[in-house]
Amino acid sequence: MTGLLAKGIRYAVSLLVVVVLTFALPRAMPGDPVMNIIGEDVSVSPATLDAIRAEIGLDRPVTEQFASYLWSLLHLDLGYSYHLSAPVFDLLVARMGWTLLFTGIAIVVGAAIGILAGTVAGWRPETKRSRAVTLAALAVSCTPPYFLALLFLSFFSFRLGLFPFKGLYDEATFGSVVHHLFLPVLVLTLFAAARNTLIMRGSVVQEKGSLYALYARARGLSDRAVLFGHVLKNASLPIVTLIALDFGFIFSGALFVEIVFSLNGMGTLIYDAVLGRDYPLLQGAFLVIAVMVVCANLAADLVYLLVDPRIRRQGQ
Amino acid sequence: MKTIPAFLSCLAVLILAASLVPAACAAGDGETMTRAELSAAILPYMEATYCGENVVHLAPIEIRTAACRFLGLPEPPENTEALRIATPNVVKATNFYDDYYVGIFTHLSNLPMMRMDANGHLVGLTADRYEVSSDNTQWTFYLKDDLFWSDGRRVTPEDVAFSFEYLGEHEPDAGWIKETLVGTTVSDEENAVTFTFNKPYTTINLEFATYNILPKHIWEHISDPNEYTEAGPFVGDGPYYLEEIDLNAAKMTFRKNHHWQGKQPAFGTVEVHWFANDDAAALALEAGDVDTYYRYANSYPYAGVQRLKDTGEFNTLEKTSIGLTFLAPNLKRAPMNDLSFREALADAINYDELVAVDTLGYGTVPNRGFVPPGMDYFADTPALAYDPVAARQILHDAGYLDTDGNGIVECNGTDLDLDLLVRTGFERDGQLIEEYLEDVGIGATVHQVDSTTWFSLKDEYDYDLTVTGTTPWGMLMHAGWGTGYFDSRRTGKGVLHNLDDPVYLALCDNILATSDQAQLERYAGEMQAYFDDNLPAIALYWKKDVIPYNRAYTGWYYEPLFGIYDIETFLNVRAASG
Repeated sequence: MTGLLAKGIRYAVSLLVVVVLTFALPRAMPGDPVMNIIGEDVSVSPATLDAIRAEIGLDRPVTEQFASYLWSLLHLDLGYSYHLSAPVFDLLVARMGWTLLFTGIAIVVGAAIGILAGTVAGWRPETKRSRAVTLAALAVSCTPPYFLALLFLSFFSFRLGLFPFKGLYDEATFGSVVHHLFLPVLVLTLFAAARNTLIMRGSVVQEKGSLYALYARARGLSDRAVLFGHVLKNASLPIVTLIALDFGFIFSGALFVEIVFSLNGMGTLIYDAVLGRDYPLLQGAFLVIAVMVVCANLAADLVYLLVDPRIRRQGQ
Repeated sequence: MKTIPAFLSCLAVLILAASLVPAACAAGDGETMTRAELSAAILPYMEATYCGENVVHLAPIEIRTAACRFLGLPEPPENTEALRIATPNVVKATNFYDDYYVGIFTHLSNLPMMRMDANGHLVGLTADRYEVSSDNTQWTFYLKDDLFWSDGRRVTPEDVAFSFEYLGEHEPDAGWIKETLVGTTVSDEENAVTFTFNKPYTTINLEFATYNILPKHIWEHISDPNEYTEAGPFVGDGPYYLEEIDLNAAKMTFRKNHHWQGKQPAFGTVEVHWFANDDAAALALEAGDVDTYYRYANSYPYAGVQRLKDTGEFNTLEKTSIGLTFLAPNLKRAPMNDLSFREALADAINYDELVAVDTLGYGTVPNRGFVPPGMDYFADTPALAYDPVAARQILHDAGYLDTDGNGIVECNGTDLDLDLLVRTGFERDGQLIEEYLEDVGIGATVHQVDSTTWFSLKDEYDYDLTVTGTTPWGMLMHAGWGTGYFDSRRTGKGVLHNLDDPVYLALCDNILATSDQAQLERYAGEMQAYFDDNLPAIALYWKKDVIPYNRAYTGWYYEPLFGIYDIETFLNVRAASG
């Protein structure tokens, strides 16, 4: 219980630090947000620039801006985007749904495939099948995401004409969404599965040589029983951490895939906000991601408690 | 069909409906209907549906549709053929007023007052003609009398006056309107609107080629257009109106404005499909999913042109752009403020290689006069030439010596190491220029920065040299001929405001003080001669805009300001076989 309390305090402090950082980091970048609000080749008077600065509150001292930010946060107000002319909360909610759809599916399916393939590859690493799985996972992991996404677009959409080139849908129907998201989800799933396969494989290779696995074999348990009854549970601990982190970063989107498939997701939203120095949007997006990461870590700690009796005993 | 008073509309419907009665009876259940019965049924319907307050125009298709609906006949078929345009200009928000690219794309639906023709001359679009007072403070625009909003109302001088007052009030980019516009007066009799400014303004006709006209009866109810985020439809007065902005489908759809009285376009809809990367756009084009490619102020990627041509499905328009890429010395710092040093810079650059590497042959070596040939009153100044030997000699003669023999000349006793500030999009130019300069003994270090950082650094004059580019609008803004980028009295996002030479400023003022074309031609020549003599900026290459288009369609039109995104394209493009 004390351990849980300590963790809770640690997470609360982390959140506080996160709030300070989400405010400070965008402002630490060089460049003036006001310049991005006006058009590229226009001349505006200093008076107009000052008026814009005052309107968005950037004329006030930083401490005052921070106090205002905190006050807004306490009122669950994430601010108003300079560039997209909408409340940050609305913008994030609109994009989060779609992002959750394509990254969420990829994380879950990628985790399932990765755990299964990694377990099989790690249990008998000398077989051809295991080597093939490892090679494929390595190849996908080493491929730049942008390149792989483009390769899939070129092959499946252009050569075979099976999928559309862009967007989340043509008409907002279930079928159209599935048709449009199949390729992006496939690419993201491959990356998640490849990484999880490699981690899981290494973990299984390590665990299968442990004394408990040897003891289980000596008791006459079948390979299947040893692998899925004992080794898998212990080997999956690193994967739990990774999946938790994945879920934490789920709302940061998948920038490269969003760019290749022209998807209206969180990745491009944050990217554009960085380029445009859209402080409120950056603050809001970073805060949401940070909170998700903290929550996901908390969840991972809880899963560890369930999975690993040693950690439970430490807690007691 | 011209404006139809309500009773005439109804009459037209009646006649049309009467002509349809036999067919209706034949196709229907055999009941007969007298004309009186028909009239009694249709007239109230038409009055209720179309002849409400302020509706002055009925489109033929509306009359036919209403009649068919009344008679239970199949409605006339809509033209479903679509012209599909691919663009990398990504629309970020469903904000008709505030999103930069929505503003450009809606030139099709909400016609600006003026437009540029293929020769770079300004001609009327919403305006039929204009007059300017002798002191250039008062501009009167006479509107075309056959323009109607897509909801059937007439475009009025009040709409035009409202649009600019509203713009000045709400749009930061148009702050100049608020600062200089004294008043507007409208004349319904003459169908004209007069703008009075607090100082001479000679380029209003150009400024007015970029701002969309809004229907007052809609927008006057929207207190803050910057916060107005709706997907559509939006009332427009062009051959098409904007039906929908769909961010998730990455598409804008324009539908035919049935109240458009001019030449009828061949397509029922125009779709603008944006792609977040050029590679996907190129694949979609090659696959035939889209018919052409448009990117404001830019060409289709040169590397992909031949591949498209090889499909046999595409032709290209190749036009010299009035936008260009250039090297700008910081004239407020030594040694860049030394003309001899700038001459050495100009000689050090291998223009042929830049043209070959950057434009893959779709460009030309520029002149010393900076201004590309596509601009009005282009003066053919001497071409820039790569001559490293001459560059080294100039440096030597001007006292920039390499005393320690390390290959880099010195300035004030230390090796020259210039900060070469390179903006996103010009990475390759920056690297090549760094090499060229070091080859003649000028040390330089590339600082690659994103656009926002670039804005700050150039505004603080925190660079020695910078590589950037102009847009077509940028070449035309201020006093024109690229002057807007350098005049030290200006501030703005893309402008360098680094030139305060009184001769240059006086030239800008002279241009800004006249609308007389003969005088303008003389001043334009003087301005290009000034660039030739003083090299405040060095053009790196002039380039072509290459626009691929589906061979199945013909009638494509290009103008220097907005390329093919011009009303003439949308009115003239039709099936090649037709």
